Amino acid sequence: MRTAIVIVLACVGLGFSLSGAVGILRMPDLYSRIQCSSKTITMGALPVLIALVVGEGLISSYTSRALLTGFLLLLLNPASSHALARAAYKAGVPMWSGAVRDEAAEARERREQDRQDSEEGQDRRDHDHEEGTGT
Amino acid sequence: MRTVFGVISFAEIAIGVLLMVRLALGPTVADRVVALNTICTQAALSVLFYAAYADRSIYLDVGLWFASFSYLGAIVFARYLERELL
Repeated sequence: MRTAIVIVLACVGLGFSLSGAVGILRMPDLYSRIQCSSKTITMGALPVLIALVVGEGLISSYTSRALLTGFLLLLLNPASSHALARAAYKAGVPMWSGAVRDEAAEARERREQDRQDSEEGQDRRDHDHEEGTGT
Repeated sequence: MRTVFGVISFAEIAIGVLLMVRLALGPTVADRVVALNTICTQAALSVLFYAAYADRSIYLDVGLWFASFSYLGAIVFARYLERELL
């Protein structure tokens, strides 16, 4: 019974790990690959670690280490994925040619537009002020 | 049960070998770092299951260090990328 549970959990985990690996191999650009890598962690690693916990029993050194590893992966890997995606975007790694939206670039354009508008308003106010003092 | 653990350990290694294709091909450095990060996770899992297969709990700490230091590697590479030093 316990062996059956271990085999089922391991099959789920290994299947997701394999699909994540195939995704990393076949996805067209870096950002999609980062997304596949995150899937590998949450659905690929955790069921396998739970399989180890089930197989070794709750009170054992394997279980504590497996749970600690799962906790670390769950905590650290999204952080590293986020840092990597952000750094790659700043370094100008290109998106896939079929990508539809780049919301970060749109937000940046909007911000720059706002700043230009406010600077123009500032200039106009200064100009009015000078005219006012001149008369 | 131990055979199952051995098979799982071997399968994780096989997935890591599959990821090495992306590590070799990857057009940018960031692609390689993503592949390396995932390989590190697979290696950590493989070491954990090898410890259960060989019944040596001393190997467990190796897996734990793998899991935490892949994070450190990705952060360092991300920092270099962000400062455009690579």
